Amino acid sequence: MLQYVLKRLFSTIPVLIGISLVVFFLLRALPGDPAEVIAGEMATQEEVEAIRSQLGLDKPIFVQYAIFITKLAVLNLGKSARTGESVIVEIRSRLPNTILLALVSTAIACLWGIPAGIVSAVRHYTIADYVVMVVALFGISMPVFWLGLMLIVLFSVKLHVLPAGGIGTLRHLILPAVTLATFSTAFIARMTRSSMMEVMGQDYITTARSKGLAEKVINLKHALRNAFIPIITVIGLQFGTLLGGAVLTETVFAWPGIGRLIVDSILARDYPMVQGVILVFALLYIMVNLIVDILYAYIDPRIHYD
Amino acid sequence: MRSKSGFKGMFVGLLVLLLCMVFSNPSPVMAANVLRIGIGVDAESLNPQETTTATIQNICEFMYDRLYYQNAEAENVPMLVADKSVSKDGLIWTFKLRRDVRFHDGTAFNAEAVKASLDRLRHPKTRAPLRFYVGMVDRVEVVDDYTIQIHLKYPYGMLESIFSHTVTCPISQKAIKELGDRLSAQPVGTGPFKFGEWVKGERIVLVRNDDYYGRKPTLEKIIFRIVPEHATRTAMLRAGDLDVIESPQPPDVPALQRDPDLKVIGEPSSRIMFIGFNNQKGPFKDKRVRQAFNHMVDKDAIVSKVMFGTADPLEGPMPAGYFGYHRIGQYTYDPDKAKELLRAADFPMDKTVSLITPTGRYAFDKQVAEAVQAYINDIGIKVELRTYDWPTYHAMTRKPVEENETELFLLGWRNPILDPDILYMAALHSRAWAPRGMNTAFYKNPEFDRLIEKARISQSPAERKELYKKVSMVLWDEAPLLFLYEPQYTIAHRKNVKGIEVFPMEKFNPVYATVE
Repeated sequence: MLQYVLKRLFSTIPVLIGISLVVFFLLRALPGDPAEVIAGEMATQEEVEAIRSQLGLDKPIFVQYAIFITKLAVLNLGKSARTGESVIVEIRSRLPNTILLALVSTAIACLWGIPAGIVSAVRHYTIADYVVMVVALFGISMPVFWLGLMLIVLFSVKLHVLPAGGIGTLRHLILPAVTLATFSTAFIARMTRSSMMEVMGQDYITTARSKGLAEKVINLKHALRNAFIPIITVIGLQFGTLLGGAVLTETVFAWPGIGRLIVDSILARDYPMVQGVILVFALLYIMVNLIVDILYAYIDPRIHYD
Repeated sequence: MRSKSGFKGMFVGLLVLLLCMVFSNPSPVMAANVLRIGIGVDAESLNPQETTTATIQNICEFMYDRLYYQNAEAENVPMLVADKSVSKDGLIWTFKLRRDVRFHDGTAFNAEAVKASLDRLRHPKTRAPLRFYVGMVDRVEVVDDYTIQIHLKYPYGMLESIFSHTVTCPISQKAIKELGDRLSAQPVGTGPFKFGEWVKGERIVLVRNDDYYGRKPTLEKIIFRIVPEHATRTAMLRAGDLDVIESPQPPDVPALQRDPDLKVIGEPSSRIMFIGFNNQKGPFKDKRVRQAFNHMVDKDAIVSKVMFGTADPLEGPMPAGYFGYHRIGQYTYDPDKAKELLRAADFPMDKTVSLITPTGRYAFDKQVAEAVQAYINDIGIKVELRTYDWPTYHAMTRKPVEENETELFLLGWRNPILDPDILYMAALHSRAWAPRGMNTAFYKNPEFDRLIEKARISQSPAERKELYKKVSMVLWDEAPLLFLYEPQYTIAHRKNVKGIEVFPMEKFNPVYATVE
């Protein structure tokens, strides 16, 4: 197992180099550059050129890439073109906010989604099943932006029980986490249901039943455990996506996370910042996938990584 | 059914936890002398020489006093200056400075500090996009501790206005030396508020400067919260999480005005919104075509229906608050006259005209462009409307004339001082064609150039006024732009906040506000 993990970790290096190439050149293919954005609409061309040379954008593009990748080798992501602040420092100040939000909303999604899916599968084609699935359909279809604003209107403006936006106390976390969890909850519930239903038709479930095992043992020990691989995959993917920053949720709730940082940086054509954030995203995504793969082996003893 | 009740327990537990989170730890009641203001953007820098964002310049000015400040009547009121004199030829300006002023780091404000700040601003290695504001300055000389002389390259009658601009704020000499680049995150000025903290993406906090030489604020602290979404900012104000918000969206304004707890105040923004023509391209070379397009669009309807009354139709080529403003009266909405002018100019009616607009750059930019598109369509001319994000748009419109493919483009110009000189020179003079300057309309008119050059060096306000009146007449007749409106800059605040002022340069002043 250790060998497998090391191998996987080692293989992230070429992936990251590949991503750095794509991001670097795609960004520069976009019209506009950071110097023009920084200079503002009233600046003369001379000012723009001066800023361009301060940012090193007057050098040939391959030289710029060489500089970027050599710095990257010693984990230096450079300085933001917009603020002049170190990219790592800016990411470090925002990333914990994003991770907190992603963790809490994934936890909420699991705590509600998995039980709901189980109930729905065990009692399939009953009222309970229909109710869960209709609610889940709403959850999946509801635009995050709209849901967030509606929650703000209800809980902040009308009831005055929760803050509408910002960060600081636990109370600030509730609305964005619930908003963000809605889609994942519904998605996980549906996945749990279909995966469970598939397993429940298997012969070993019939065997278990004929042995006279209690329903709860069959459902939770025999069915759920075997149905868990696709569920854990979905949870992992969802969590990875949430780590990539929930831009809309962060914007609606003025949550200073990494999603807004990347959007603001793209709009400012802040090359170093966008490159840095994308690389961090990629790294996080790879890590989440690795953890999911390790969990597979833990859940299903038939899976080996030797 | 042990496990099932386990799940039930989990549901209940989670619910209880959520409820506890809701009702425990109620938001602390804000102290009466703290003001919480919601703004839409984070700062790129808190150095007044570096930032180009209106909101952030505004915030810098609470920490940095200038030599002058410009009041709503476009008069320059002395701030750090005690006295001034100008040489006969208008080339040497001597300023006597106040002697009772200290920077926030305790160092004395004096002539050396003014020189150091201006030298830093003028140094080509400094990142200062707005350096051209002091382009007329040749050199700065310290006469004695509290006297400074500014030598100019050419006479410049509006120098006091220049020294009311954020970019000219004196910065502590010690801070310039010791902080270097970190100055952008650690402001050290002379203003009524000192820098408290800046949590990127979240808040900027200013604290009262108890050693301020002038009238001291009642507020102890101003917290600027960064809330990018308009609807959230509005909700936070209504929920009482904020005391003041800037620039609510036009459609929210009527509802905010009706709210008994809130007050909306606004002033013309001294920005003009317009659709630029590419004056060097195809039929738009003809003045009659440009006039026709000006007659095609109902500005009153756009202002009332799209902008919800938060703008004023332009009645001259410059904002009403500017020095030398001359009111001519709107380009009337007259489709028949427009058709007549188009016929006279032989406009090819089967032509599809391209109109581009940024989205999210100005309040309701895309919606306004859509309305303009509809009016042009009504005349029988097809319009293809495309929207872009700002950097793409900016790069497209700033291409040199040979490569430039724009025909009609939506834009807004704002000059942070109430004088037309810098704007006209940078935006419509024939030497300022993009990409050298911001003349993306590629307007060229020798008479206009001559008039604004003369107005620039004139020493007599009366003469300048007369010249700018002529300039207004020329521009209005030549119609290099499709003149739309001057938006209002609005803020909304809770009624228990008193004493906030709004200025006609997209600025507001909460320094002497009180919270009851």
